[in-house]
Amino acid sequence: MPVVCEMSHVCERGTPTLAGLAKPIDHISTEEDYEMKRAGLALIGMLLAGSAACAQSDVPILSGALAFLGANNGGSPTYQPIIAPVLVAPLGDHFVVESRADVQGFIFRENGNTGPYNGIFAASLDYLQLDYIANPHLTVTVGRFLTPFNMYNERLSAVWITNLQQAPIIFTIGTRTSASSNGAMVRGVAIDHPNWTLTYTAYVSALTTTENLQAGRAAGGRAGLFLPHQGFEVGASYQRFLQSGDFNVSGMYLVWEPPQIPLDVRAEYAHSPGGQGYWLEGAYRLASSRDTTTWLSRVQAIARVQQYFKGNPTPEDLLPSADVNQFDVGLNYYLTHNIRLNGSYGRQYSSAGNANIWSFQITYRFLFPAWPGGHQ
Amino acid sequence: MKLTLITLLSMVLLICSLGAFAVPQSPAPGQKPAKAVTSKAQKVDPGEQRFKQNCGRCHNPPDSLSPREVKAVLQHMRVRAMLTAEDEQLILKYLAP
Repeated sequence: MPVVCEMSHVCERGTPTLAGLAKPIDHISTEEDYEMKRAGLALIGMLLAGSAACAQSDVPILSGALAFLGANNGGSPTYQPIIAPVLVAPLGDHFVVESRADVQGFIFRENGNTGPYNGIFAASLDYLQLDYIANPHLTVTVGRFLTPFNMYNERLSAVWITNLQQAPIIFTIGTRTSASSNGAMVRGVAIDHPNWTLTYTAYVSALTTTENLQAGRAAGGRAGLFLPHQGFEVGASYQRFLQSGDFNVSGMYLVWEPPQIPLDVRAEYAHSPGGQGYWLEGAYRLASSRDTTTWLSRVQAIARVQQYFKGNPTPEDLLPSADVNQFDVGLNYYLTHNIRLNGSYGRQYSSAGNANIWSFQITYRFLFPAWPGGHQ
Repeated sequence: MKLTLITLLSMVLLICSLGAFAVPQSPAPGQKPAKAVTSKAQKVDPGEQRFKQNCGRCHNPPDSLSPREVKAVLQHMRVRAMLTAEDEQLILKYLAP
């Protein structure tokens, strides 16, 4: 397993998955494993039974993406075929079961940039959750869900959405362990005003060491203020990590997408005892509006800067052991509606060594009904 | 610190320069003139507007969806993107009129 740890810093968006696999398991419990698997099977059974019952009115959908990612980090080439299926099954008007898995290969050279190629296979369940939409202001979620810390993990980490394939350096702050939580969450729109909305999320998660279902014991929340007419959102996150000595993690995020021009500006800041940092990303479609009718409007230029300042990181933090400054530039091109090409170059400056980071990805996004006839 | 300033300055310059491209362009063949587009924009479907404000922040509009698929998609996004009940209804009418 140490090789996985070594590779985790170059494993693009798969970092949490592979890192999760590499994490030493401190409290292996056969009974706990059994209970987790039984709970998972029960949830899947409920999903299938419920979906069949509602088949006439609500068609479950199978969505997600296929992707192939090639990267070169400091001279070490890696290749990752990725399948990320998403299943959504509404159960009437108030319940919905949703799930996303992440199945990927990781091909790398044995000694980093020399030697024969080796490959490993990793599969993980990003989320499998039952949502109860209680009322316009409250949704209750139980199961496994993406840890709602800042916005990257929940909104941008999907392979078909993220603009740059390398996750931000501070991504593991607040999403430590596997980027997913096992427990319960409440969320919704607290105040819905025509000119602004106030959203909230609060959650608790239990320690889970079952392979591919790891989660940390933690509790936290997030609040966000969204101004729809200005396309502006700002929010803050807090988490209390209730293991490894208990510590606080906090963060802030900002999104600005002016309606008049196809520019997306996003930024996050996160702080933990292991370190702190920020990233700021701008993405611009080469058009005068957000439509994608011309070939030039399907090109998106991206730039991101990020800085990381080391604190007292432990191996479980999956944070760099030295301060890091990095910039990335990239291009997205939407070949058709569902196929996207990405290319990017980044330069990392660190006292541990500077590095060039190249990446290329092709992504195919799919969405179809989970059974025949649903598209009619 | 010097590097920080340089990178931040570069980012600001990049965003500003990209913004400079955001001037109205000549209409493509088959497109209506800018004035017509403006008048159309004033009568924009509220569902389309909600879609752009909420869903379009992260991804492109879906290619095609049947009314039965739309319900699953919207319930999924209502939870994930924290859409309001009104957003959900308006976007549902927009995607599956």
